Amino acid sequence: MFEQLVDGIFWNIALIVFFVGVTWRLITVLVLRSKRIDYSVARNSGVSGAIMANIRGFYPRKEVSGRIRLQVIAGYMFHLGFFVVLFFAAPHVKFIAQNITGFTYMTIPYWGFIVASEIAFAGLILLWLHRLLNPVTRLISKRSDHIATILVFVVMLTGCMALGEASSELRVLHRFSVELLMVYFPFSALMHAFMFIPSRAFTGVLLGRRGVNV
Amino acid sequence: MSTPLERGVDMLKSQVDARVESYFSSCTHCGVCAEACLFYTETDDPRYTPIYKTEPLRKVWQQNFTLWGKLSTSLGLSKPMTENDLSDWETLVYDGCSMCSRCTMVCPVGIDIAYLIRKVKEGMAAAGFVPEGLQGASERALKFGSPMGLTSKGLLSAVGQQKKEHDIDIPVDVVGAEYLVMLSSNEVVLYTEFLTAISKIFSAAGITWTVSSKYFEATNTGVQMGDSVIAAQLLERLLEVATELKIKTVVSPECGHAYTTFRWDGPNILGRELPFNVVHIMELLDQLRKDGKLKTTGSFDERLTYHDPCNISRRGGVLEQPRNLLNQVAPNFVEMNDKKEMNWCCGGGGGVSSNERAEPLRLQVFNVKKRQLDELDVTTMVTACSNCRTMLEEGLEENEMDIEVVSITELIADHLA
Amino acid sequence: MTGIKDKKSARMRKAVYCCVLSLLFVLAAPLIPYVIDAHAEDVTSSKANKPVALQHPGINLWNDVRQRNEVTQGSSQVKGVDSGILINKTGEDWRRFRMEMLMPYGAYFMAAIVTAIVLFFLLRGKLRLPGGRSGELVCRFTLNQRTAHWFAVGIFWLLGITGLILLYGRFVLIPLLGADGFSITASACKEMHNLIGPLFLLAVLALLVLYIKDNFFNRDDITWITKGGGMFGGHVSAARFNAGEKTWFWLVMIFGFLLCITGLILDFSVFGQGREIMALSHVIHGISALILITVSFGHIYLGTIGVEGTLEGMTTGYVDANWAKSHHDLWYEEMSATAEEQQGIKQSVASSSTKPASSPAGD
Ligand code: SF4
Ligand code: SF4
Repeated sequence: MFEQLVDGIFWNIALIVFFVGVTWRLITVLVLRSKRIDYSVARNSGVSGAIMANIRGFYPRKEVSGRIRLQVIAGYMFHLGFFVVLFFAAPHVKFIAQNITGFTYMTIPYWGFIVASEIAFAGLILLWLHRLLNPVTRLISKRSDHIATILVFVVMLTGCMALGEASSELRVLHRFSVELLMVYFPFSALMHAFMFIPSRAFTGVLLGRRGVNV
Repeated sequence: MSTPLERGVDMLKSQVDARVESYFSSCTHCGVCAEACLFYTETDDPRYTPIYKTEPLRKVWQQNFTLWGKLSTSLGLSKPMTENDLSDWETLVYDGCSMCSRCTMVCPVGIDIAYLIRKVKEGMAAAGFVPEGLQGASERALKFGSPMGLTSKGLLSAVGQQKKEHDIDIPVDVVGAEYLVMLSSNEVVLYTEFLTAISKIFSAAGITWTVSSKYFEATNTGVQMGDSVIAAQLLERLLEVATELKIKTVVSPECGHAYTTFRWDGPNILGRELPFNVVHIMELLDQLRKDGKLKTTGSFDERLTYHDPCNISRRGGVLEQPRNLLNQVAPNFVEMNDKKEMNWCCGGGGGVSSNERAEPLRLQVFNVKKRQLDELDVTTMVTACSNCRTMLEEGLEENEMDIEVVSITELIADHLA
Repeated sequence: MTGIKDKKSARMRKAVYCCVLSLLFVLAAPLIPYVIDAHAEDVTSSKANKPVALQHPGINLWNDVRQRNEVTQGSSQVKGVDSGILINKTGEDWRRFRMEMLMPYGAYFMAAIVTAIVLFFLLRGKLRLPGGRSGELVCRFTLNQRTAHWFAVGIFWLLGITGLILLYGRFVLIPLLGADGFSITASACKEMHNLIGPLFLLAVLALLVLYIKDNFFNRDDITWITKGGGMFGGHVSAARFNAGEKTWFWLVMIFGFLLCITGLILDFSVFGQGREIMALSHVIHGISALILITVSFGHIYLGTIGVEGTLEGMTTGYVDANWAKSHHDLWYEEMSATAEEQQGIKQSVASSSTKPASSPAGD
């Protein structure tokens, strides 16, 4: 019963909420409210600034890198590990092919999958601890940041439980937690996964037009 | 009559645009911005975390522009904004932020935090939570034309005195001059050498220029306070004068926020393009140097360094020009460790310098500058903003450091061929 | 006619008996060594009875198969570790150890320590801060140290709980969830334990690097130990870490690394380790884990409800000066001395105003 719901209607709801929600929020930013143009005379191209800022944002500035080592290392561990597992683990590739795209692509070997998920686990735990232990992040973190972290952690943990592919209950549990995460996604700080691009672009345009090295 | 709270909240609501939406949606509360802000690094107080300073705007956005927020507000689940949500932030945004935008450069998701803080100030100003010092300055600016209360009469007498003392020419209100030079009151009252210096340089270069007795003030307290209405009123005066004098290029003096205001923010505050070009005095000097019109001789042999004014380098994009000029006259020019678009602020930007209440904090955060200078062992520090200059001098004096602060224009003028 | 017929059937019967008997003998032959073995002592001790050397021709083969005399490797077409071994004798030893020693004694050990802690708490109660709070804060652990600690805690308990379920789960969970439910739980726990396991090495290494500095034993520790750590009254001096904390640190290091090494051997069976090494690893793994889990009860007790003002050192990084004075006076003196040197007491001894702000009600 529950299994059918999770595989059927719940999944469809989650998929719709996720895609409609994310698109709607991106549209809000990109179309509905960006009427404003800049009246100042540009020194350099804003578009190249936007592109540069999007690239530049991937590595920390040396002036602060010493102070944010933990965030950078743990951040990269989590994000890289997570993406490798999400998009290249064999069960996921198979699932995506069956349910969304219809075609398969390269998968990583099992050991790569295990190493990647271990790195992701370590990264996520470290990031969350940093959030709780650093006075700055403890002060500025919102409830939604914690909920998002916990949801991602649960998704990863249930995924790990289902690794043995010993029973369909565990697989259903994993899928259900994924669905919860997808429904929560568009309304939370998880949106940064998409929003960082327009954000960097906005700032990049400003700095690029002014000729500041980004 | 609406309450201060309502006025503040309404103003904050009106501030939400695509950038605000995108920025708040992408903040992961990672805390990286704190590590770039001198008010946090020097105090270790997490409340000075840049993104935390934007809390009032974030709350308004969250409650009025997000689905969850709207839902829980209509269900009465979220706490409504209170006056304390604004008043408690007054010291954070006016005393604890110099609008240096260093935080903007390090945010991993690219949030322009300084832009958000500027908008918070807009709401604070509307609600009336502005420090007395700034309030007074803006009243004086509207009344007399300058935040220091300096009138045209004061300017004229200063000009006359300089002319007499140094036997130089300072054109006033010349119609059709190539350049209109704006001044900050600082430069009229305190650092009078500046007028002498540009006069010397310009006559050597053979270009026509003028100052306006009607409206000469380069600084804009409206911008510092975060009040766009006042800012626009002050800008309109500049436009009026420039049109009257048929000016093609307005020269921003050695003042950081004057430059960004004229060059970058002004047109957007007014909502239209300006009918003239804007250059910073350093851009102009470097251009003259390139054109061969500015020749120097001799050298300044003391060990010196250059302090990047935030609004000119990080927010203005004038990065190489001062260095080109310095390399021409100062063989012992050394760079600070964090420079150019990652320089550390003097601590007095964004109106902090006109806010007496903030002085102890300002001197505390000067520590970062002190550390930078201690590493270098210099005797002279050059800068290109008279506000920075005052702040640096005060900070050095407080720390009993024997370093002289000079203006780059003056340094060049002293070495004219 | 009938006579011939009778003779015939009698012969037939005899033949069948013979067949059955010889079959029985063949089947029973391998058992003979057991009997001999069982009586070997009797036989050799009573010299009157000469041992009967009754050897079945297959006995050597069978002894080899059961690995009775020595570990022997056969050969097989199947290529793989231990594929030359038909029956692993050590497996039975290992199974016995696990079922009859590790599980019951481990449980007794844990129960005993928990009881001792509860009794101690009932008798002594919470150790209060002498003189209350001073409001002055001393920095005890850096952000990195705290992160490493809680990282280790998280990993340790993820592994601890899944490990305990694998060891004891059957007693509690089969009645609760049924056999199917337990099999799912066990499979999930095994996967989690195996996946998260290697991270414990990371945690232990981080603890080693970040905490080793103040954890070497010295003469003061002897005094501390002889005075019972002040647990029964009286003041004892201690530096940044007292002898108890140092012991805990080294226990974590020793058994932590043992857990990691044996765990990796068990987790990644691709490096040619045979069953015997695996069984041995498992034994060490189980003992080390139970020791660390049990001692951690004491550590948790002392760090939380046992001694007032301790936990905040690990959460906020700061402890009250009175706490430092009463539990780690030597360290406190050292800290105030350096703080005075740096004048202003800003860096290491912070005033309460810079106490990290508490988390606001967020949304
Ligand atoms: S650095 Fe950027 S993403 Fe991180 S807390 Fe600050 S504003 Fe938010
Ligand atoms: S603009 Fe400068 S002073 Fe203000 S919060 Fe950002 S880094 Fe700090």
